[in-house]
Amino acid sequence: MLTNKVFLKKTKKGSILKIVREHYLRDDISCGSSVCELCQHDDKGPVLEEKLTNLSQKVDQSHYIIPDTNVVLHQIDVLEDLSIQNVIILQTVIEEVRHRSAPAYKRLKDILTNPTKHFYNFANEFNKETYVEREPGEKSNDRNDRAIREAAYWYQQHLKKLESEIDIVLLTNDADNRTKAKEKGLTSFTIHEYVKGLKDNGTLLDKLAHVGTGLVHEKDKVQFPEHLPLNEILRGIKSGKYLQGSFIASRENYLEANVSVKSEDRWIFIQGHMNLNRAVNDDTVAIEMLPEEEWSCPSSLMLEETEEKTDDADIEAEDAKLKQNKVPKDLRQPTGRVVGIIKRNWRQYCGILQQSAIKEATRHLFLPAEKRIPKIRIETRQAKDLSTQRIVVAIDSWPRNSRYPHGHFVRKLGNVGDKDTENEVLLLEHDVPHSNFSEAVLNFLPKMPWTITDEDMKHRTDLRHITVCSVDPPGCTDIDDALHCRPLANGNLEVGVHIADVSHFIRPGNALDKEASNRGTTVYLVDKRIDMVPELLSSNLCSLRCDVDRFAFTVIWEMTHEAEIVNTKFMKSVIESRASLTYGEAQMIIDDPTRNDDIATSLRGLNKLAKILKQKRIDKGALTLASPEIRFNIDSETHDPIDVQAKQLLDTNSMVEEFMLLANISTAQKIHEEFPNCAVLRRHPSPPPSNFDPLIKAALSKGFTMNVSTGKDLADSLNSAVIENDKYFNTMLRIMTTRCMMQAVYFCSGMIPEAEYLHYGLASEIYTHFTSPIRRYSDILVHRLLAVCIGADASYPELLDKHKTQLVCNNLNYRHKMAQYAGRSSVNLHTHLFFKKRVVDEDGYILFVRKNAVQVLIPKYGLEATLYLNTDQRKKGPLFVFNEEENTQTCGGISLHVFDRVIIQISIDRSNVQHLKLQIKLVQPQIPEFSVAPTEDDKSTDDEPPTKKQKLDI
Amino acid sequence: MVDVQLSDAEKTYIIHGAQDNLREDGRGCEDYRHLEIETSVVSTTSGSAKIRLANTEILVGVKVELGETSPENPDKGRIEFFVDCSANATPEFEGRGGEDLANEISNMLARAYDCPSCLDMRKLCVVEGKKCWIVYVDVLLLECGGSLFDASSIAVKAALYNTSIPRLTVTHDEGHTELELSDDPYDVQRLDVYNSPCIVTLSKIGHSHVVDASQKEEACCLARLMLAVTDKGCVTAMKKEGSGSFDVSSIEDMLETGKKVGQSLNKSLMEVLVSEDRNMKKKYMTGYLR
Repeated sequence: MLTNKVFLKKTKKGSILKIVREHYLRDDISCGSSVCELCQHDDKGPVLEEKLTNLSQKVDQSHYIIPDTNVVLHQIDVLEDLSIQNVIILQTVIEEVRHRSAPAYKRLKDILTNPTKHFYNFANEFNKETYVEREPGEKSNDRNDRAIREAAYWYQQHLKKLESEIDIVLLTNDADNRTKAKEKGLTSFTIHEYVKGLKDNGTLLDKLAHVGTGLVHEKDKVQFPEHLPLNEILRGIKSGKYLQGSFIASRENYLEANVSVKSEDRWIFIQGHMNLNRAVNDDTVAIEMLPEEEWSCPSSLMLEETEEKTDDADIEAEDAKLKQNKVPKDLRQPTGRVVGIIKRNWRQYCGILQQSAIKEATRHLFLPAEKRIPKIRIETRQAKDLSTQRIVVAIDSWPRNSRYPHGHFVRKLGNVGDKDTENEVLLLEHDVPHSNFSEAVLNFLPKMPWTITDEDMKHRTDLRHITVCSVDPPGCTDIDDALHCRPLANGNLEVGVHIADVSHFIRPGNALDKEASNRGTTVYLVDKRIDMVPELLSSNLCSLRCDVDRFAFTVIWEMTHEAEIVNTKFMKSVIESRASLTYGEAQMIIDDPTRNDDIATSLRGLNKLAKILKQKRIDKGALTLASPEIRFNIDSETHDPIDVQAKQLLDTNSMVEEFMLLANISTAQKIHEEFPNCAVLRRHPSPPPSNFDPLIKAALSKGFTMNVSTGKDLADSLNSAVIENDKYFNTMLRIMTTRCMMQAVYFCSGMIPEAEYLHYGLASEIYTHFTSPIRRYSDILVHRLLAVCIGADASYPELLDKHKTQLVCNNLNYRHKMAQYAGRSSVNLHTHLFFKKRVVDEDGYILFVRKNAVQVLIPKYGLEATLYLNTDQRKKGPLFVFNEEENTQTCGGISLHVFDRVIIQISIDRSNVQHLKLQIKLVQPQIPEFSVAPTEDDKSTDDEPPTKKQKLDI
Repeated sequence: MVDVQLSDAEKTYIIHGAQDNLREDGRGCEDYRHLEIETSVVSTTSGSAKIRLANTEILVGVKVELGETSPENPDKGRIEFFVDCSANATPEFEGRGGEDLANEISNMLARAYDCPSCLDMRKLCVVEGKKCWIVYVDVLLLECGGSLFDASSIAVKAALYNTSIPRLTVTHDEGHTELELSDDPYDVQRLDVYNSPCIVTLSKIGHSHVVDASQKEEACCLARLMLAVTDKGCVTAMKKEGSGSFDVSSIEDMLETGKKVGQSLNKSLMEVLVSEDRNMKKKYMTGYLR
């Protein structure tokens, strides 16, 4: 049977379209129940079981559940619980969920595909019996509710016809819907009633979201301004009264945030509870500009919300306190306030439960691991159990009268302090896809044992006779690159860089490719690696290990002894590496005069050329920047860090780096020449001059003038800024310079003008990533482009579509950034673990001076920590006075400047057992009533936290 | 015009018949042939009607679109007619063959509706001086069997009656006008076509005149008068066609007849349309090949 779906649509241009879709109704749609003999089930058989287990005390019969849209949207966590089974999800519900929340839709789809859950998707909109037409005067929501009731009724009658004992339970929190359902003779409850009636409901009750239900007390007064309705917001945005942007909360101060305005590419500052108005990090919000006299600027306060404040704690008073600080005119930034939320971007948050004063209380506060997220109020009956756990919580709502958003418990991850749990937390928090590779992905792996066929050899050059070796950090199993260098008959040198040919194994468009493209990069944590491609490829077939034949993508240059390139050749090849060396081993071979074999001469040749290349690059204005990199020595049994040290740099590190840079630049030139519109390149924009202000100011305090007008000037200024007796000063400056830089990003060459291709840090006009295809997806794309250039591989449409390529690049940039953050968090985590058993005095340098704190860099551990000055606990003694002009903090006659060397004591703050924080105290210079006495050497504290069972012998 | 070839004897037979108020198919001079109307036939349009008058078959689709108001009439909407003579109707329409006829029909329709009492164009205005609805009426001739003008006008009236215009809410906000579309597809505005005219063509055959001439009768007629008549008997447009000329008294006679026939035609048309609309809900779709 045919019917039409008619609806009107207003286009962006303002014209109105009438859209008609043909809608065919069928009479052969299966009910999906095992009881049923009338319906024809599909090949996989009926989904819903005949014998049912989830009996609720609410219903005495066994039953199937039909939830309505709102139940699915808000209570997806409950539905995901394993105990909820045999649920019928109507098509009406799926479609509404898809419209309203993409994440909920995805999760619903996942449940539906899980065979153990027995969730059945019933296509009621296509069933002749259950299709309902919208009636005149009926709202679309009412029509959908009616469709749901109609389908539930059909099921009830259908099961009755089968003389089955099974009933249908309609779950809806809409009272009106329930009444109407009961009039029809249906059994209907709210989800809350239903879950409470379940026999074993312990954790399920906690997972219930309370949306607009009685969690709010009347005595709570309304504190926040109301959000504007969406249509008013959209109108305001159109007329320019409001601005739309994404809300980025500050990490440092919970009362501050920035909104990046979509249309204008600028940042609007927001300050204070009232102005933030319940926006959560990542939300898309509408803001209104404040009048100029109310503009403000970020206070240099580092503000952390520590104490639990009750809901009635007056947020207005807190805001008023902020206002007292008059902001001088020249510092003012454009400031606005949030008037409405366009789209919430709430996800699930990891964190811990904040210990409540009352033991038996069910309402608790949840402390998210991410500092930008506010605390979340949740209701749980298992607080005692959860107090030592990392848990995941979702936000449900943020009513006007509540200081904190309301949420519900989703699941627990494991014990606090447990390394696996903590790793899981940081992967989740950084949105790193870390599940195991699916069957579909693994199916695209080559079958083992893998051999090279004649077919493979057709397009490849056999380079197995050349002495090639790889140089990598110790313990590296995914070897991307190998090198060789040999003299040519004409006196020149031949240098080859061989990169693992990953694109041979990952063919465009298949599941393996999609997964790799989504992951974007391999993520390195201190003790774990989350691979971008399955291990068979990353550590075996692609990895250029020694003494096996491997496919490679090779760049061969002919160079003079002055490192001038005579010509460049690209080819797909087969190589056999003679040795997999570590940086240390390679260095030893170079330095060992007794060795004169092929490997040694090759390495020495490379080393010599690399030094010339580096000098050339520096002369061009490439920056040598510093960021403290550290490595942990990890106990082999407990996997706890036992020592931390800064990474050492050898000549060979820079040797490999030089040739990789060269290969990348050569490739970038080649692919850009062939594909000016769709080459994947990497650029590093030159930072706006204002970014350098803190650096210039800091250097000036030591009497150095920094010239930042070009990269070359900056490099020269950095080189000349040396203090004889303070050898760390220069490194500090370089670290500060790093902070001034912009992020380097991938992009598609057709999307921006050629003048912007510049890579500032490397002082190269063009750059890309070619050399690490095992761990970066961008390199795979570059490989494919290059393969097409040299005719070694076929092209495909997506490769040449600049918009699609740009989309991929955007994802890569995001993943890349997140991977960096995750890596840093992992280092932090291990630093915490390391200091858990120690109190150490260490040298530090002041990096920044803030209004209420100084940030100290501890070079030995590559650690940056905040030393709070005028804390509340500090009752006695003179207070620090902040001098904004000179950027100093003075107390008791002693001033703290930027770059000052201090001695600090590092320990773990155990005041909150759950939430261990790294804490530093000042040892030297000695400031009365502030500094602490130095610790005796190597004194490790014995009070291990209770969760730790094993003891380490250090 | 679409012609059939007739011999003199045949012509005489028809002329004599008309004189005696008895036509070749048994009708009287003021009778229309059997007329079938169906509305809502094309779901993608805002309103549509299909009419079959003996062998004449016409499909009319109405589309409403938001447009700018014209400077002369800032408070009014517009109606525009377009006639397409399909080559399916007759091979003569092939290429640009039907263009002249199509123009004639559309001009006549435009003139007939160019009268303030026919259709209230002010109701089509959305924002004065800015936005209005423009009603595009597309007439498609599917088969020719005489009386194309009459049949077209009837089909147009039926299609306009069937037209539903989306309801818009206008909000004024700091000099910006915002149009909001109601999300209920049933929340629509209907056109008031009560006073819209129907065209009655009177063909002079011999000394008498007939309405709704068949193709054979048209071949015998030297001149005809087309009148656009409203329900109240008001003539909104008049057009004379053909090589012959009229005597003043016969024009007066024809006007009288035209008004009379037009009024009753309008009346029965409205009755049919109202009753069809009432029964609309019971109609089930069965696909294009119904």
